Amino acid sequence: MKRPTIPALVIVVGVLLLADLLVVNDSLGALAGIAIDAAILVAAGAALAGVAALAARRTGDLWRRRGDPIGAALVLAGMAAVLIAGLRPGADGASEPAVQWLVSALLVPLGASLFGLLFVTTLAAARRSLELGSREAMVLVAAAVVVLVLLLPVSGPAGVAMAGAAEWLLDVPIGAVFRGVLIGVAILAAVFAARTLLGIGAADE
Amino acid sequence: MPTPAELVGRLVRFVGDVLGASTLRFEIGTTLVVLGVLLVLLQLIARPVSRWVTTDVGGLAAVNRAMALAAEAGTDAVVSLGTAGIARSTDAFGRLQTLSALPLLGHVARAAARAGVPLRVLTNDALAGVAAAAALDSAHERTATLERLGRSRIVMVGEGRASAAGLVMTARARPAAAVATGSLREEAMLHLEGLRGGAGSLTAATAEAAQAPSAILAGGGALIGPELFQAASDLRADTNERTMVMAANRLIVVAVLAVAVGSALVLAGVIVPDDLLLGIGGR
Repeated sequence: MKRPTIPALVIVVGVLLLADLLVVNDSLGALAGIAIDAAILVAAGAALAGVAALAARRTGDLWRRRGDPIGAALVLAGMAAVLIAGLRPGADGASEPAVQWLVSALLVPLGASLFGLLFVTTLAAARRSLELGSREAMVLVAAAVVVLVLLLPVSGPAGVAMAGAAEWLLDVPIGAVFRGVLIGVAILAAVFAARTLLGIGAADE
Repeated sequence: MPTPAELVGRLVRFVGDVLGASTLRFEIGTTLVVLGVLLVLLQLIARPVSRWVTTDVGGLAAVNRAMALAAEAGTDAVVSLGTAGIARSTDAFGRLQTLSALPLLGHVARAAARAGVPLRVLTNDALAGVAAAAALDSAHERTATLERLGRSRIVMVGEGRASAAGLVMTARARPAAAVATGSLREEAMLHLEGLRGGAGSLTAATAEAAQAPSAILAGGGALIGPELFQAASDLRADTNERTMVMAANRLIVVAVLAVAVGSALVLAGVIVPDDLLLGIGGR
């Protein structure tokens, strides 16, 4: 049997925050502020606990020589490098130049080089999808080709008309589909969040 | 010592004082609209009706077959929980997608546990990794296959969205099935192409509207937009699982009707959107 403590807590806090949204009252605002601060503290604690669990797990991997010891050593070394750079005496934390160097000289270039492959992989995926005869992919690629053609830098009245047509396509039909998806996502996200918080729908097969 | 009547009197006076010191943040119309939406939402969530239909969303019904093939071939299966995580510095929408990926992970994990197929779960977030480990534990416990739990593993792919894509693009393992579910943003195409390159079958699921083309072009099963949140309900047929789908059906109908009626009223010149929206404004 499920314990009703957490759903009850969620409902109480939810009603409190809703009341604070609708009603201007100093006491209510202070109570809502406490609830929000507590949520921030819990999230920060959970993040720290998660990092500690990762470090403990990787240390265990290294100590017992299981899994991927090189990967574990790299993870621990990376964590140590950032922690030492950011937390050593006199350091400015995340704004410390050494930490920023680690990010800007290592992480950002690595990410940028990967994203350089995006153009090639997208074209390859489009070609493969067309070869497979996927109906959705055909519609997608056809729409992309139409928009690309309309956006070609053509001069004169024809170019203006093409640019206008492209703008209309993006604003009206494509924009409508996009907005529809966003509305659906918003509704389902709200329902899913409510079910998760209230503990409705325990998985069972 | 006060009598019960005095206590009740003080309580009533206190409530009266609190109410007297309060004012509505919005106008009465907006307040009623907010409360009305909340009531409708709660009613829809709590009361299932019979508009539920089953569909094989994202080809997830084929997971059992993929696991059988994996068991025969002696390979594993991969589930990627997206690149938003839970404790990482990301937005609430991304976190919610990671949470919505956990029921899908549970579904795949149970199929893998029954078939004796090891599972690799990719995540870039420590807390999501802990949640995934709990999901694997639960799957093996439910299928009475705890002795197989040690063969599955959680792979922490490192910080950032690009690192996950980099890992799957360079991995040498060839899983029988791959499921990428959760928040995928600019790295989506790289991530899905990396998984597809080695996997026998692929399901891509993300609620990021801008990445719908990536999920479609990946060439496998696709859960796009709201389908990610619906998938957990479509996997099973018990009442609680169906509730979300039915609530969604009703809400979608209401939203479509509101958009259609509003559009008709605007076209007919009955209402002017700017006046309507700006006229309600709060303080």
